[in-house]
Amino acid sequence: MNENEKKAFEAQLKSFIGRPIGPAMTGRDPVNEPMIRQWCDAMGETNPAHLDAAKAKGTVHGEIKAPPTMLQAWVMEGWAMHEGYDEPKNEQHRLHKFLADHGYTGVLGTNTEENYTRYLRLGEKVTAETVIAEISDEKATGRGIGYFITTRTKFWNEQGEELGSMSFRVLRYKPPAEAAAAAGGSQGKDAKGAAVAAKPTRIKPPMGQDNGWWWEKVAKENVLPIQRCADCGKLRHPPRPMCDACGSQKFDSIAASGRGKVHTFTVIHYPQFPGYDYPIVSIIVDLEEGERMASTLVECKPEAVQIGMPVELLIHQDEDGFKIPFFRPAKRG
Amino acid sequence: MKSPIHNAAAIAGIGQTAYTKKSGVSELALATEAVRKAIDDAGLKPSEVDGLVTYTMDSSDEVEVARAVGIGDMTFWSKVNYGGGAAVGLVAHAAMAVATGMAKNVVVYRALNGRSGQRMGQGVSGQIISSDLIHWSWYMPFGLLTPASWIALQAKLYMHKYGATVEHLAHVAITQRMHAQNNPNAAMRGKPMTMDDYMNARMICEPLRLFDCCQEDDGGCALLVTSAERAKDMKQKPAVIRGVTQASFEGQEQMTSFYRDDLAWLPEMELAGKIVYEQSGLGPKDIDAACLYDAFTPEVLMQLEAYGFCGRGEAKDFVTDKSLTLGGALPNNTHGGLLSEAYLHGVNNLAEGVRLIRGTSCNQPDGVEHVLVTSGVGVPTGAVIFGQA
Amino acid sequence: MTKTFKASELTVGQELPPLDLKTTATLVAGGAMASRDYTPVHHDRDAAVAQGLPDMFMNILTTQGLCSRYVTDWAGIDAIVTRVRTKLGGPNMPGDVLKLRGKVVARADRSVDVEVSGNNAWGNHVTATFTLTLPA
Repeated sequence: MNENEKKAFEAQLKSFIGRPIGPAMTGRDPVNEPMIRQWCDAMGETNPAHLDAAKAKGTVHGEIKAPPTMLQAWVMEGWAMHEGYDEPKNEQHRLHKFLADHGYTGVLGTNTEENYTRYLRLGEKVTAETVIAEISDEKATGRGIGYFITTRTKFWNEQGEELGSMSFRVLRYKPPAEAAAAAGGSQGKDAKGAAVAAKPTRIKPPMGQDNGWWWEKVAKENVLPIQRCADCGKLRHPPRPMCDACGSQKFDSIAASGRGKVHTFTVIHYPQFPGYDYPIVSIIVDLEEGERMASTLVECKPEAVQIGMPVELLIHQDEDGFKIPFFRPAKRG
Repeated sequence: MKSPIHNAAAIAGIGQTAYTKKSGVSELALATEAVRKAIDDAGLKPSEVDGLVTYTMDSSDEVEVARAVGIGDMTFWSKVNYGGGAAVGLVAHAAMAVATGMAKNVVVYRALNGRSGQRMGQGVSGQIISSDLIHWSWYMPFGLLTPASWIALQAKLYMHKYGATVEHLAHVAITQRMHAQNNPNAAMRGKPMTMDDYMNARMICEPLRLFDCCQEDDGGCALLVTSAERAKDMKQKPAVIRGVTQASFEGQEQMTSFYRDDLAWLPEMELAGKIVYEQSGLGPKDIDAACLYDAFTPEVLMQLEAYGFCGRGEAKDFVTDKSLTLGGALPNNTHGGLLSEAYLHGVNNLAEGVRLIRGTSCNQPDGVEHVLVTSGVGVPTGAVIFGQA
Repeated sequence: MTKTFKASELTVGQELPPLDLKTTATLVAGGAMASRDYTPVHHDRDAAVAQGLPDMFMNILTTQGLCSRYVTDWAGIDAIVTRVRTKLGGPNMPGDVLKLRGKVVARADRSVDVEVSGNNAWGNHVTATFTLTLPA
């Protein structure tokens, strides 16, 4: 797109703002016990407020009420949704098709906000109307360049009484080709030959001549190796190709006792990368042998970690088989 | 004895683009705009520039910039490594070149689409430059992937050892945010911050909350370095380089110098300070204002100690809600710094150092004779002292 | 269910007991049906694979239903959910363990905000902030 085309495109895009996606939709069935029970079964919901009239009576609810997060379910189209929308059926579809036709083929729900005026009573009929409320300027996101689209939905009953509202924000983006390949870590193929994203894993250490041996020892011998100069015996971590004391490039290694103390730590909350478990309690450990290393403290609540606390080695294994030396609080005695 | 670099070179021009979240142009376009403005500011023609210096991390090569801007023959160029640690190094390389006659007029620059393009805070990955790979392999698998996570480990120990608290960090962040309110080019202008705002922001890596961390921005910034002699005849009041150095200390790593005896101390900064004070014959008492590198707030506290503005572990007593602003003990980052003006990798802090000498800062203290500007923390770094001609 | 908390009995930072939910194809499909969401990627593995995903994935309403149940099971029967704000992350699929964690992040006279995070091996699946009205 050149500058003029881009202007025309954005003008047309922004013309969607304020449009209702279509006529207001009324749910096929009124709020009813069978649908509530089916919902509660799936969600593992046992709250008597939704299931047991006798028990609900003595509570703030007074009678059986629908679970609050079911609000949208009462007006969902149901079966018809399985056919997809190759031909746009409403303004929302037209907006999405318009963007897809211009290369913004990726779509990702990013945020929702629901406000529940009150819980719904049995027998109420729910009607909803949705408006395309906002379309952002073009934004650079982690997924690619794109537009955030916010729709707002109002819900009311047959008396016109407001029941709640919802806003829903999606990102419509241009997936960069290379980003698509890199996104889910390594790619696999399923039986039908479609590319399938593999489950993300922690970033693996690139294996070079100066560090590969160390990770191999962790994997094969279940130890925490410490590099040792084969000539003067000085220990060093992280491994390096020369001893800074005697200049020798010969080395072997010892297995650390696994005992150490927390020298310092941080608790990592954000940003969160796929393949890691957050929050991460990240530590620098003083090993009993005198060397220091960066690692992760597990089996310990973030608020319990302290500088100076004794820790012990644990060779952790990921689902994909990768082994990595972690620490946990030292057991007494 | 004063160094041969003492008073040999000066900053005669500064140039900067708008600092935004989405420049909409290439990094090369930002670089050329900043470089051209620095040349114009000095009152020179592009053809009078014969040297360029930038970061190894910068994507705009010297000859690409030279060709676009109309810089003709060049006799000197170089690139400085280690991210924000390079900032002062650019000036050091340029000053050496003009002091020795290798070049007459050298422009140093940094331009990045740090928000809309490649972002720093998004973590290192297995795909980064291979010479570094093995180094990062000791941290990446453990989830230590961001500058905030590396700095947080050091900050935690520092605060534990000396009893500094998040309130002390907040004073740094809030003061610089206040400075940015008078800076038309600051990304955080129009967004003043209270202690509540600071405390209520999300936790990033304990003890660092969101506003302990610098922003991510798009923009370019450049300085023109020439000899102190020639600078006298140029358009602007020169900022003369009293002393300048790069500094890497024993056991140095890039962001992960976790293996030294005292993690609650910045020995490379202490080294840089020792050298620039010796070169200039000055001391901390002679410094009227500073731009201490501020990618993260604890770095400012630790630098106050390393450069001798207070004793070891005493930054918490030094830092109050007034000490780092006009009328305080050390007006610091009067433009808002990396925290509140923009993250231009420290070159914008150098530009503010020059403005403080010129007397044109948006928050100008009275009677500024000497300004200290420093490079990145946790990396091989550097320091420079600017003075009046 | 346990007795309902009063807001005055809670403190900001207080944590909910953790809940690890094993995700099965039945849960994903059953949740989609119960919320009348028949979009194929929520019940048909082939449809999801055709879109480049390894398996069918949980719809938003099911995620919200699970989080809501997690919060109100803890808060008690007289708690009323008045608002939910969610930030959506990666997918939740059969075989994933959805780790629900929650904590009180704000408190007023008669209400609290509870932030729930749901993480799995893909990273963060959902972060949802529930506003609850509690008895005086």
